[in-house]
Amino acid sequence: MFTEKVDTKDFEKQDPEYRDLLGRVLAIQADCEIGGPNLYVKDMLPNAPTKLDQLIVARTAAEEMDHYRKVARVAGDLGVDVSFVLSRTNQERYVEAFRGKINTWEDFAVFGFLIDRVGRFQLEEFIGCSYLPLARVVEDPDVIREEEGHIDYGTNKTAEWAAEGGERKEKVQKAVDFWYAKGLDMFGKSVSPRSERYMYWGLKRRPNAVARQQYKEEVDALITQMGLTIPDPNKGRLYF
Amino acid sequence: MEAAPNTDALDEQFKEFIQALKGAVNSAMPHLKDDSKAVDKAISDCKEILDVVLEGNVKEWVS
Repeated sequence: MFTEKVDTKDFEKQDPEYRDLLGRVLAIQADCEIGGPNLYVKDMLPNAPTKLDQLIVARTAAEEMDHYRKVARVAGDLGVDVSFVLSRTNQERYVEAFRGKINTWEDFAVFGFLIDRVGRFQLEEFIGCSYLPLARVVEDPDVIREEEGHIDYGTNKTAEWAAEGGERKEKVQKAVDFWYAKGLDMFGKSVSPRSERYMYWGLKRRPNAVARQQYKEEVDALITQMGLTIPDPNKGRLYF
Repeated sequence: MEAAPNTDALDEQFKEFIQALKGAVNSAMPHLKDDSKAVDKAISDCKEILDVVLEGNVKEWVS
């Protein structure tokens, strides 16, 4: 197990596998950060139900862009250019959850509730990681506070509409059914040699299956509290 | 360690985008009830900035 802490100046001295995995994880993280705004801004900014909601969409996008910027900076300082993710189509995104489009307000809220929550789990993987500049990004209180804000907004809206009952609750349940599978899949395959190598190099803390189970327990409790039905965890899944 | 080309330029460009977006949002928030024109203008500014960002024309930004 690799236990050293690495800073930018020492990156070139590291094992090629370490450099390769770090470059890869930074590109994926950058892609996910900018992938969110690409999913929802076009339809949600003009069509949000109130002006306050429109401003919240814009502020959320600005904060995700700033997270992208911080990750891209870490990658760029290593000589890894991740700017290609800015011009790719949604269909080209690394992570399946970012390959579609969000065009309903229920989907926007549930995306915050379930998918931004996966984002928090992914960021937590890098807390105290072996690459210090990356650890510093995720330990930045602004990044944590902003990510929590996106999750809370989505969770509160989802709960509010679930409590309304009727057609609104049905729409929210449909969105939960859709994004629940995407969220569980975002943790990757349970048996993943690459994930083990990330852990070996101190770039991740938990096996995929453990993080997925922790996430599932957290969201299942919230879905139940909201009076919604926990979706079948095997339905619509791509990775197990 | 040599940084990737345009790392500084893109970082600065993004800072500008983010600052402009947050500035527009923050200027509008206190006026949601008393100045709908100012709020509409801020939302329109946000849309304009975000359209440019999501276009992703990196070459143009760093040229």
